[in-house]
Amino acid sequence: MTSAVASNLLADLLSGPRPAEWDKLREEAETRLARLDLPTTGDEGWKYTDLKALGGITFGPAPEARVDVSSHLLPEMVGTRQVFVNGHHAPHASCVSAVPAGVRFLPLGTASEACHALGTVGPVHNQSPFEDLNTARFEDGAVILVPKNLKVALPLHLLFLTKAETPVAVFPRLLVVLERGAELELVEEHHGEGTYLTGPVVEIRVAEGAVLRHERVQRDSVEAFHLGTLKAEVAKGGQYHSRTLSFGARLSRQQPWVRLAEGAEATLDGLALLGEAQVADTHSFMFHAEPHASSHQLHKCIVDGQARAVFNGQVLVAPKAQGTDARQQSRNLLLSETARVDTKPQLEIYADDVKCSHGATVGALDPEELFYLQSRGLNADDARNLLTYGFAADVLTHIPVASLRRALRQLVMARTQAASLGDLA
Amino acid sequence: MLSIKNLTASINGTPVLKGIDLEIRAGETHAIMGPNGSGKSTLGKVLAGHPAYEVTGGEVLFEGQNLFEMEADARARAGIFMGFQHPIEVPGVSNASFLRLAYNKKAEAEGRDELDPLEFDDFIHEKIKVVAMKEEFLDRSLNEGFSGGEKKRNEILQMAVLEPKLAILDELDSGLDIDALRVLGDAVNKLQRADRALLIITHFPRILEIIQPQFVHVLSGGRILKSSGKELALELEERGYDWVLAEAAAGGAR
Repeated sequence: MTSAVASNLLADLLSGPRPAEWDKLREEAETRLARLDLPTTGDEGWKYTDLKALGGITFGPAPEARVDVSSHLLPEMVGTRQVFVNGHHAPHASCVSAVPAGVRFLPLGTASEACHALGTVGPVHNQSPFEDLNTARFEDGAVILVPKNLKVALPLHLLFLTKAETPVAVFPRLLVVLERGAELELVEEHHGEGTYLTGPVVEIRVAEGAVLRHERVQRDSVEAFHLGTLKAEVAKGGQYHSRTLSFGARLSRQQPWVRLAEGAEATLDGLALLGEAQVADTHSFMFHAEPHASSHQLHKCIVDGQARAVFNGQVLVAPKAQGTDARQQSRNLLLSETARVDTKPQLEIYADDVKCSHGATVGALDPEELFYLQSRGLNADDARNLLTYGFAADVLTHIPVASLRRALRQLVMARTQAASLGDLA
Repeated sequence: MLSIKNLTASINGTPVLKGIDLEIRAGETHAIMGPNGSGKSTLGKVLAGHPAYEVTGGEVLFEGQNLFEMEADARARAGIFMGFQHPIEVPGVSNASFLRLAYNKKAEAEGRDELDPLEFDDFIHEKIKVVAMKEEFLDRSLNEGFSGGEKKRNEILQMAVLEPKLAILDELDSGLDIDALRVLGDAVNKLQRADRALLIITHFPRILEIIQPQFVHVLSGGRILKSSGKELALELEERGYDWVLAEAAAGGAR
């Protein structure tokens, strides 16, 4: 029954015309898709995340639309922003006047130099069809190319907005290439209204000694489905640091995959704030392919109502990856009796000289912490709200873009009932 | 100010305090000393309202009010402050935000004006001088990654901000080197006033050379075995606790 619904969904999504360009990539994706079904809870990687809710919704193609982006602009990045609406580039809303010379920050449609790199990062995800669906049907996307040794002073801002009057499917695409010794801060945001399915695919190449800091903000509509794929290859001595902050979507799934070469560093931090019947699932894959690389993961979830959080953190240490330092923490705060968390580390270590640690906590607030705050005069509710806020805000502390950090702290204050405590941002 | 009569308390059904009597008046400094496990930290936590302890008997009046009819936060707003032996770390909440919040909750309870962030900034910069705290500790998350000494410094800063009527300082000296102890001890002395009382809970007498109490009480087995003037602290420094215990045992047998 489920697979019939699933097949219909995939067939529907593929029934529209194939967008122009990248024919070969798209054909390969379509060939693989012909053999794939929508995953069900019978599939190991999807045990806790049921896509059945997608059945019964017919997602049409997303039309181009004009939107007012003024409420989404951040002062540090007013002149370094590219905006995509319903998967289409929105030149009227974009502005790249402050992007430094040498940096390519373009829609895919106009960046022919990206052709050879697109679709080449990492293996194609074979446990879910969403990456291939994106490849087969993306309309447009963004390309960022930073040349050798250029340290970009201003952060770049990518806004993916979806406006769905009727249910639509959008497939944002992003390719980021940092050449040797380059440095960049990137803010990627997803916002939307209405019922839609968004299946973004992000490909990242960080060359030797380059550093990418990547803030990812998911504020999709609460009727949305967000099924994201991210793949990053980090070359020798390179660094990739990302923070994924999930607030929206009825159901979201993040699948970050990172491959570390010798001496590379990666951070995959995450925060999910969930209420009502939201589901947020993160399945990460940290691949220590070569020696002396280090990785850090701190994944935090606050789960209220009947919401559900899923974390599966896979770490693979290859036989030759001696001197690996891999750390993973999954920390979860349950705010209701009916909230649920399923968290699982999955370490596969084939080298012998490694430092790998992982830990997971699931629970309510610590009574000792509550007492400490109450002993300073905060009543029980205020103490609870402050601790809940702090639990989430902890992940936001090191966001380098001040206006974004402040906006997200205010969002967290509102979502944790901490607003009554005054301005903590 | 604080009147404790025959107080008994237990944790998880195990009696820890077995009949404490103590009178503390405004302007006084009292020290509670005792060996490990004597119940002295429990006394502090019971007075501050820690929910894990059950009061099984006796009475505590704070300025005439029954303490046990008040939750921990109400006691704090009424003027009781406890400096923790092990202050809690709260990631994600800046020290300055927390101090302002705590200050404003108390101001609100007392019908005074709350301070906005700018006003509080001026206020707190005066206060951190008292405890010689570096400014960067205001922007950091509350106690997160602070050393033991920095946490204790922050406790005394909170005391300076909240201006309590009764300050209970639990093992202020643990984790402090002698220089830091001198700074914080002097800070506490500066904060002592005629309308304020101090209750110093400590295992080691050395802190009492800086914060000099008028009254020293030896607590053991959940009871106060001996009360005397500050000379008792010196005697404990020289002779340890055993003789007090032996004396009490002999007295009990008599």
